[in-house]
Amino acid sequence: MDRIAVTGIGVVAPSGIGKRQFWANIKSGRSFIKEITRFDASLYPSHIAGQIDELEKYGMLSERLLKKIDAFSHMALIASELALQDAGIDIKNEDPNLVGIFLGNAIGGWLYAETELRDMYIEGREGVSPYMASAWFPAAPQGQVSIYYGIKGFSKTIVADRAGSLMALGYARKVLSKNKLNMILAGGTEAPVTPYSLLCCNTYGMLSKNNVHPQSAYRPFDKKRDGFVIGEGAGIVVMEGVERAKSRKASILAYISGYGTSCDGVDRIQPASDGKELARAIRIALTDAKASPEQIDYISLDGLAVNIWDESELKAVKEVFGARLKDIPVSCPKSMFGNLLGASGAIDMITTILGMEHGMVAPMINLDEPASNGLNYVLNHAKPHNIGKALIISRGRGGINSALVIEKA
Amino acid sequence: MKEKIKSVLVNLLKVRPEELKDDVSLQDSIGVDSTEMVESVIALEKAFGTKLSPKEVTKFSTINDIEKVISSKIGK
Repeated sequence: MDRIAVTGIGVVAPSGIGKRQFWANIKSGRSFIKEITRFDASLYPSHIAGQIDELEKYGMLSERLLKKIDAFSHMALIASELALQDAGIDIKNEDPNLVGIFLGNAIGGWLYAETELRDMYIEGREGVSPYMASAWFPAAPQGQVSIYYGIKGFSKTIVADRAGSLMALGYARKVLSKNKLNMILAGGTEAPVTPYSLLCCNTYGMLSKNNVHPQSAYRPFDKKRDGFVIGEGAGIVVMEGVERAKSRKASILAYISGYGTSCDGVDRIQPASDGKELARAIRIALTDAKASPEQIDYISLDGLAVNIWDESELKAVKEVFGARLKDIPVSCPKSMFGNLLGASGAIDMITTILGMEHGMVAPMINLDEPASNGLNYVLNHAKPHNIGKALIISRGRGGINSALVIEKA
Repeated sequence: MKEKIKSVLVNLLKVRPEELKDDVSLQDSIGVDSTEMVESVIALEKAFGTKLSPKEVTKFSTINDIEKVISSKIGK
């Protein structure tokens, strides 16, 4: 399958909106995890998150539209606009039938849904906004982005827990390499910092309860890890065929060259402890990219900071990369801004591409004492390193494994 | 009454008052969609304390049409 070019990046994250601000904060190793202020979350076992404040400030959207959509659509629209601007694409000049949208999302738009459901129980059915039906569901951002830009091509929303956005990127590449579309806006969006979403994430039982020290709560691969921290945001990129990108003299930021996925098939929540299926997904991605394990010079880890998840992930990369693993820089930058669930894989890819562009590897934080040795973790500050080919891992509940290979342009 | 109808729609739909024209349909003036119409009918019912059927107030109605319907209902 062909390599596909990434020509524009749109990032809306707790660490920054827009790739410059985002990268500046990431490379310095600054944590953006804070106590939740959007609502009173003090009684939740975990009440910290990566929040985005004052989203409206960055908006190009009318109040008339904003009252019809949830925050996860709002963030997807901003990320799409940033990606298109970065790619230098004026969508009016595109054939709308040949533009698609591929987005990952895990939980839907609950901030909107919760307030409307409350009104339904208090005021009856007439208290519910008629937009409720089209605002909350996981494919709503795809719909809103398509309406905003008049996009009419083949599009998809992928719901696969936290693996959704990496899968969306993988499928977008497949569609583009079959020449079915000219370009795709691909990535993911998630807005889990709401009372009910936070409750569900808490029930999930894997969130860090270190509310007293929010900035050091999310500790992937550390001995003192006690779970992950949620974050909100959207990561969307412009993807297009290499020939087309070159002919319009676009600046190619990276190539997506391989994708692999597999299922553990052992438990409705937990992954298989042996990591064998994840290792197989990684090998499928490498084969797809015509890359050998020796050629990979950076690994972006999923890093849930939960024992079985971290350990099985390390087993998988050890199985694939063997003794060479100790030489490959690895990182988990989401420890700084939270796990964006159905947008996490896309944000990881964007972080990796920005690292390629700057000749650096983004750091991970809070890894004071590794639970497993033998890995080349990049800690606390970005480290100079030329990434040529990178592997990105993203996983979801119930044993969903996905792996993506990208190459420096 | 006309001003009250306009103010209900302006507050609800977040449009500018000058966009609403007395004798132009809501569809032609502000491109109202069907869901916005459902919302508008409910808001007008609340504001004027009356029941309106979706056939009486549609996106093809003008502000003048809506005023006529509501006047006939509330007898003013």
